[in-house]
Amino acid sequence: MENNFPRTGVFICDCGLNIAGTVDTAAVTEYAQSLPGVVCVVHNKYTCADPGQNEIRKAIGEHKLERVVVASCTPRMHELTFRACVAQAGLNPYLMEMANLREHCSWVHAGDPAGATQKAKDLVRSAVARAHELQPQIEPEVDVTQAALVIGGGIAGIQAALDIADGGMQVYLVEKEPSIGGLMAQLDKTYPTMDCSI
Amino acid sequence: MMDAGRHPRIKVLVSSEVIDVSGAVGNFHVKVRRRARYVQQDLCNSCAECTKVCPVIIPDEYQMGLASRKAIYIPFPQAVPSAYLINPEDCLGNNPIACGKCLEVCEQKCIDFDMRDEILEVDVGAMIVATGMEAYDPTEITEYGYSRYDNVITSMEFERLICAGGPSAGHFVRPSDGERPRRIGFIQCVGSRSSRYGSPYCSNICCMNTVKDTLLLADHYPDTDAKVFYMDIRAFGKGFEDLYLRSRSSGVRYIRGIPGEIEEDPQTKNLRVRVENTLAGELEQHELDMVVLSVGVRPRLDSNTVQRLLTLSRTSDGFFLEAHPKLKPVDAPTRGIFLAGCCESPKDVKDSVTQAGAAASHVQVLLSAGRIRIDAGTPLLEEADCIRCGRCAAVCPFHAIHWQRGGVPEIIEAACSGCGCCAAECPVDALTMRHSTDEQLKAQIDAILDEHPEDKLLTFACNWCSYAGGDTAGTARLQFPVHGRLVRTMCSARVSEDLILYAFEKGAPLVLVSGCHFADCHYINANRQTVTRVERAWDRLEKLGIRPERLHLEWISAAEGQKFAEVMRVLDEPRAQVTAEEIAHTRKVLAEERKRREGRKEKMRAAARKKREAAADARAESSAGAAASVAGPAKS
Amino acid sequence: MEEERRFRCLRCGLEFTAVHRKDGEPVERVCPRCRSNSIRPTKEAKG
Ligand SMILES: Cc1cc2nc3c(=O)[nH]c(=O)nc-3n(C[C@H](O)[C@H](O)[C@H](O)COP(=O)(O)OP(=O)(O)OC[C@H]3O[C@@H](n4cnc5c(N)ncnc54)[C@H](O)[C@@H]3O)c2cc1C
Ligand code: SF4
Ligand code: SF4
Ligand code: SF4
Ligand code: SF4
Ligand SMILES: [Zn+2]
Repeated sequence: MENNFPRTGVFICDCGLNIAGTVDTAAVTEYAQSLPGVVCVVHNKYTCADPGQNEIRKAIGEHKLERVVVASCTPRMHELTFRACVAQAGLNPYLMEMANLREHCSWVHAGDPAGATQKAKDLVRSAVARAHELQPQIEPEVDVTQAALVIGGGIAGIQAALDIADGGMQVYLVEKEPSIGGLMAQLDKTYPTMDCSI
Repeated sequence: MMDAGRHPRIKVLVSSEVIDVSGAVGNFHVKVRRRARYVQQDLCNSCAECTKVCPVIIPDEYQMGLASRKAIYIPFPQAVPSAYLINPEDCLGNNPIACGKCLEVCEQKCIDFDMRDEILEVDVGAMIVATGMEAYDPTEITEYGYSRYDNVITSMEFERLICAGGPSAGHFVRPSDGERPRRIGFIQCVGSRSSRYGSPYCSNICCMNTVKDTLLLADHYPDTDAKVFYMDIRAFGKGFEDLYLRSRSSGVRYIRGIPGEIEEDPQTKNLRVRVENTLAGELEQHELDMVVLSVGVRPRLDSNTVQRLLTLSRTSDGFFLEAHPKLKPVDAPTRGIFLAGCCESPKDVKDSVTQAGAAASHVQVLLSAGRIRIDAGTPLLEEADCIRCGRCAAVCPFHAIHWQRGGVPEIIEAACSGCGCCAAECPVDALTMRHSTDEQLKAQIDAILDEHPEDKLLTFACNWCSYAGGDTAGTARLQFPVHGRLVRTMCSARVSEDLILYAFEKGAPLVLVSGCHFADCHYINANRQTVTRVERAWDRLEKLGIRPERLHLEWISAAEGQKFAEVMRVLDEPRAQVTAEEIAHTRKVLAEERKRREGRKEKMRAAARKKREAAADARAESSAGAAASVAGPAKS
Repeated sequence: MEEERRFRCLRCGLEFTAVHRKDGEPVERVCPRCRSNSIRPTKEAKG
């Protein structure tokens, strides 16, 4: 039965009990199978761990996946991880989409497993729908200027500037007062060594 | 400190502040203002002749005002750079009548009253913010009489008094009479762990600092009778418990209980504190020669400019927010910017140095990559649809769109940060955000609202703040009703009026648009456009007979998990009150409205196209005419 | 450059007066009663 939807794989993560403790991930897995374009659904204990990532790469090859949806934690944590993962399997990284079943669902609805499971299904459904509309993108590459700027010349700024400069890069150390040194320059002796601070 | 001053690859810019930042990770362009110091740094050999003749006497900030300095001075003997400077606010001026004395005595001829502030421009690939913290000023705690009683000092002043390079040349004396205090009390947690004064958090360093101070006293003046008034002593670090035990065994008395008040004897200037010793369960009274307030630390509030320029956020305690509290403790939320030291949280020297090393290595990883990829989040222009109105260029906070009257806008990809404000502003949908298209967002809205739309609180959430605020709520396990459904955009300014109306048309009972607080906007000020659009949508809804109360706007920062949870809770009631009839009516009205709007857009595009064609024809004709007229006279 | 304007909170319904800057630069608004940011300039003042 051919349709016009891109071939989509959905990877549902338990995150140990972090997600599975509240959300019925087996039910979400079953639900995902019914979604348009979805040709494979994999249910994992930890999708971000190596075995979980291997499954994604394997499935991309086996099922000729054109889109990948990872239903796990917040994309603010692992979007780059999973983009890199699908890229290794030859899929454009912008064809990966995430559904946040942990921070935005299991963790905040611990007292309402049924509601959380329903919401998790919605989040997966929405991620799959968005995934179908995604387009491959080429990330522009830029040269990196070989210099760094450090704002604040206390002990932290000084130490950072020295480390970077010792590594061979140019550093600008910007201090608003007329001398660097910061708070520590005003201390007599410092714990735990009880020696002079400057 | 010296090493940094001498390092061939470190350019130390003192008396300097960052005033502008543009560009993005890999290629920041930074403007720095360096204030004039009126003494040529390279020539000055620190002979101090100038200081001797300068008539102006000013409290010395370095010595916490316990000593004085001149208008021309060196901040402290080991200062880097080691050169004098004139504070123009203190100086009487180089006017023979006014003064100019230092100029006469300087043999190096390095004093230059014509110096001006300089603006330096530098290009860098990455930045580290290490703006530190400041000590709490306990003046507001009137019960302790700081600044009223001579012999009540802060731990910062203690540092100067005990220091060989301090105002009393290392002789530890009390301010009222220059005598050596024998009975000294330390009060812990001043301005920390309090809901009344200062801050609710633990300042991390003050317990160990007092332990250190008592050991210094025991070492220099073994006959001192030192008492420490505390809630609990936090000596968690490596080697800390040893120091604490050493302090105790040296005879320092640790008394659990924080004094409510200090009284001064007006004659002797001695101090009396009354305290409830909670271990002994007794009310005690102590006569002391001096009290040291072990003050807490606070975020530097003058780092607001840095915060704004680098689009940093603060946690609720006021310190700069890291990208992740556990896994990315030195990354700022903006790529290519890292945090080090006490600007991120109160910590001691060791931890500051550790974090600085981590930040430096992150910078090195980035710089040594040589080339990096940047997000493909820029807009694409469909030239045929564009009506050359220039609205996109007008709203772009990064000036990444160049436009001239009547011309096609030109998108400068390197300057674009991908907020999507331009695409939401375009009146004819000629701009498409590559990775946040209308189709993608609408597909999500459709999927969310397909079934039981009345149960869903459709929420547009910006990536940096409100979506992240939802994450923070999750990390904190805050609980709220399950109805929220988030649609993530990079910036709330990506949310067009059309998208809001679309969500209502698809059956949303309530729509929430959420983004960063004004001060936190990650796209300079793009979210001001969000306000304009939401206000326009309120007007539109009202005109169409739809209650504007169904559209909400909330600013939620990445740190405000509490607010996120509260908004989700509070909005649940108005969501539940929207009836099925109301939703059905909205759907019908807005379906018609959408047709009207699409029709209007198509008309605008066609009209502009026609105008362009006419103009092109006219140009062709006139150049043909010109050719003819050139040919003309040659014939005759 | 500044004038008083009426606003209405769309969360709790409170109507209140606040300063509005005429140069059009929007400011972050918050309801003095319920802390909501859904603050709408009221119609009659808009004219
Ligand atoms: C009373 C007291 C006693 C202490 N005793 C000890 C001790 O015994 N042992 C110990 O380990 N730690 C101690 N500490 C802690 C220690 O001082 C800090 O850990 C350390 O100084 C922090 O260094 P920093 O570089 O992060 O910040 P800071 O030292 O505060 O340096 C920040 C620098 O940035 C500059 N700056 C700020 N804003 C800007 C801007 N916008 N542009 C340019 N420059 C800017 C400031 O002028 C300053 O020079 C003590 C702290 C206090 C308050
Ligand atoms: S000119 Fe200014 S700095 Fe020089 S001696 Fe006079 S007051 Fe001091
Ligand atoms: S007299 Fe001149 S050389 Fe000497 S300290 Fe003053 S400015 Fe520097
Ligand atoms: S408005 Fe935003 S997305 Fe559009 S060009 Fe400017 S920075 Fe880029
Ligand atoms: S029509 Fe759209 S793309 Fe063209 S100039 Fe106007 S806002 Fe920009
Ligand atoms: Zn209100």
